[in-house]
Amino acid sequence: MASKPAWYERDSRFIAAHQQPACLIDLCLSRGIDSHRLLRGTGLFHADILAGTTLISPEQFLLLIDNAQRLLDADDSSFLFGQRLLPGHHGAASQALALAGNLQQALELLGELRALLAPLFSPRLLLDEHYAYVYWLDSCGAGAQQRFLLEASMTAVVALARQLCGERLPWQFHFSHGQPRYVEQYWVHLGEDLHFNSPYNLLRLPRHYLTRALPQAALTTAVVACQQAREQLLASGPRASLLDCLQRWLLRHVREAPSLERAAEAFAMSPATLKRKLSKHATSYQQQHDQVRLQVALYLYQVKGYSNDQVASHLHFHDATNFRRSFKRWTGVPPSALRRWLTGEV
Amino acid sequence: MLKRSLSAMSSLLHLHRLKLAALLLAANLALLLHLAAGDLKPMAEWVWLDILGEGGSALLALAWLLLILKSRPAGRVSSLLALGLGCVFFSWWVDALDEFIRLPDSIAWDSWLESAPMPIGLLLMTVGLYHWHHEQLAISAQLEKRERLFREHRLFDKLTPLGAAEYLRRQLQLSLQHAGQAQPLSLVAVDLDNFSALNQRFGHAEGDAVLQAISQQLLLNLRCQDLLCRLAGDRFVVLLPNTGETLARQLAGELQQAVAHLAHKTRQHGERLHLRATVAVVMAVNEDPQTLLQRLNLALARAKQPLALSA
Repeated sequence: MASKPAWYERDSRFIAAHQQPACLIDLCLSRGIDSHRLLRGTGLFHADILAGTTLISPEQFLLLIDNAQRLLDADDSSFLFGQRLLPGHHGAASQALALAGNLQQALELLGELRALLAPLFSPRLLLDEHYAYVYWLDSCGAGAQQRFLLEASMTAVVALARQLCGERLPWQFHFSHGQPRYVEQYWVHLGEDLHFNSPYNLLRLPRHYLTRALPQAALTTAVVACQQAREQLLASGPRASLLDCLQRWLLRHVREAPSLERAAEAFAMSPATLKRKLSKHATSYQQQHDQVRLQVALYLYQVKGYSNDQVASHLHFHDATNFRRSFKRWTGVPPSALRRWLTGEV
Repeated sequence: MLKRSLSAMSSLLHLHRLKLAALLLAANLALLLHLAAGDLKPMAEWVWLDILGEGGSALLALAWLLLILKSRPAGRVSSLLALGLGCVFFSWWVDALDEFIRLPDSIAWDSWLESAPMPIGLLLMTVGLYHWHHEQLAISAQLEKRERLFREHRLFDKLTPLGAAEYLRRQLQLSLQHAGQAQPLSLVAVDLDNFSALNQRFGHAEGDAVLQAISQQLLLNLRCQDLLCRLAGDRFVVLLPNTGETLARQLAGELQQAVAHLAHKTRQHGERLHLRATVAVVMAVNEDPQTLLQRLNLALARAKQPLALSA
């Protein structure tokens, strides 16, 4: 067998069909949806999934989500799916999550085990003095299913935190999309502190909630479960997607404004191959690069309190005007508007 | 429950197998009679406009018949409508056969076959529709407290027999236009406490069953002019027309008690669940449905966590 790939792609088969996909299938079956219609086009059969050995690709999972969304034809599908996701039924990984000593451990574990627990939308945890932020990266090119996955992912984390802490936590939610027609689903399944048309999709929680000891923490068992979960992750394949790896690489080299050719070299492939792979994931190098630069800019504004000029020079823009123009292209608003927005003036 | 009703829907056609078989037999017999007595017309003599008009009408009548049979359980009204439409179809079918088969002039039965079923069919359908009207009134009475002013099946909730959020919004839109100082309008939100814990402990199927039970329990405790909708998840909203805030608070308290007194038993082990709900009340003041619902939602959040939000 060839050496193991360092990442998974849209068509790599590594998602255990009887775990997260099965949550969605069960939800659909409980609403009286026919399993043949649900699995149409995915190349899967319900009997295969019941056998417990079938692995599916992100592409198949996304197709399943598309079918489910269409057949369920209800505004709460993504939220109900999200509620069932975490800690989930992934053996050691779920156990480790459920036994975490505090919320921070749980969220860090979720990030580490993302290939198992969040293969399509990978979470990142970021901390500053006062707050913890969780934001998501579309790791397989979700396309039209992006909104569904975002709603499901946020619901999953909020439901997990509620289960671990035994109470509803004061999360704040930011969505880059506008307020949907079915906003009441957000109220009920997520919370009241909702912000739409934001520059990013993220969850925010006062930091002290992260370090509170959790009642059900079982240290020794949790350590063992973590170990087993890591073995499970290793056995299941790569621990991150191509887009995920590229974003992390870009983040490390963001100050050098690396070109596509340099990135391709770092990933040991030709620029044409990288381009082709990215377009397979419905994105481009420019898009990924811009996304990372936006993340860094937001981080510098919000966490480090940098000025426009400082951010521009950190990201090696020729001048502040140039940076302002790029920023407007990334977010639709100039940095000044964003600063007002970040400080809560709008 | 939903699953059962869905499979019941698809089996509805089976209930009418005899009726369909009789109709097919009659149509076949008519065809055979025509073939036996007459000759086929050559294609040059076919009048396409007539074929399209008469054949198309026959096909449409058949489609109506199938739709009616597919959507209705057996019964008096269904039989009347089916018989009526069956006669109409038969009449148009024989009419269409004329276009392909020429009968000798000496034969008179064909005009009987063509013309007699039509008035009989229309008469049967009229009687059927009259009874259907009464049946519909009876069904509407059963939908009391779940439906007001207008019906739109696309806005039904998929889990409980109630209207969903969009139905509530449209109802609010209509009601707010009428409501004024003289006719106050209030909303009550009822939200189950610890519903997610219940889902975790007993499974989501049990959670669904609880929501269905709660919706029935709430309906029982409402006045006939009130409207109950499921907003989302475990949150229900009652629209109270002509109701001021004081009375709405009293009704909300009664609903809260009704939930606490519901002795729901789990399906697997028959274990008694102790349910509790938080309620919130708002009275409409010159605002659009969305703002009103938002205010209700915030009132509910305050009722759930009095400390966290006032801080």
